[in-house]
Amino acid sequence: MDILVTTYVIYLSISIALTIWVAQTLFKNGRVFLVDVFHGNESLADSVNHLLVVGFYLINFGYISLALKLGYDVRTAREGIEALSWKVGLVLLTLGGMHFFNLLVFSRMRRRSSIRLFDPPVKADGFTTVHGR
Amino acid sequence: MRQLTVLYDPNCGLCRRVQAWMVLQPAYVEIVFVPVNSEEARCRYPDLNHSLTLTDLTVITDEGAVYFGPKAWIMCLWALRHYRAWSLRLSTPELLPTAKRVISMISQNRYKLEGLGKMLLRDSKAR
Repeated sequence: MDILVTTYVIYLSISIALTIWVAQTLFKNGRVFLVDVFHGNESLADSVNHLLVVGFYLINFGYISLALKLGYDVRTAREGIEALSWKVGLVLLTLGGMHFFNLLVFSRMRRRSSIRLFDPPVKADGFTTVHGR
Repeated sequence: MRQLTVLYDPNCGLCRRVQAWMVLQPAYVEIVFVPVNSEEARCRYPDLNHSLTLTDLTVITDEGAVYFGPKAWIMCLWALRHYRAWSLRLSTPELLPTAKRVISMISQNRYKLEGLGKMLLRDSKAR
């Protein structure tokens, strides 16, 4: 197996492992948010959580697959490691971006659902008797 | 709080149009509109200073809490589903002074501002 193919294999295994790790983190910790957003409806929260994670996997695996090709020849181990580091770095940045985007979606959903619970933002000027109360 | 009573001025075109617009908006609490200084208003709130309510918008909750002037406007926004976020934003210390000034200005000139009300109503009907 030449150095280029070895680089590809290492790139794929690192990227896939990283994606699975980040997706699992999102899946485990995002659930609490979603249960709160859907007012304790756990089955709905689980369903939305699952759908979000599937989307996360699809986008990341798609990116990893598209970014695989190096476009130049790798002859030495040093060149292989350099190419690998560049590629994995890009995957990490994509994962980071996706992760923060997901957090943003979660916090938006949470804020939107909690707004109906807010008390009046201003203090009353006084109190009066209400007839028939 | 389950209900919000708005004492509005039926003699002012802007107020009538804003009232017509508010009725169409989805709300978190039931909103009741009572003409200001009317028989109904006096019967509902016997202890309220009704001549004061003629000068600016007044909003009263079913528990008897009275909001007057700019605060009443903010309470109206707070009651509406699509505008509660705006009521919270406008009542932050940074925006509240400006909001109060703008609202007071609109209130004081409400008889001259009928055109604005017409525009509002046309927009909500077109949507």
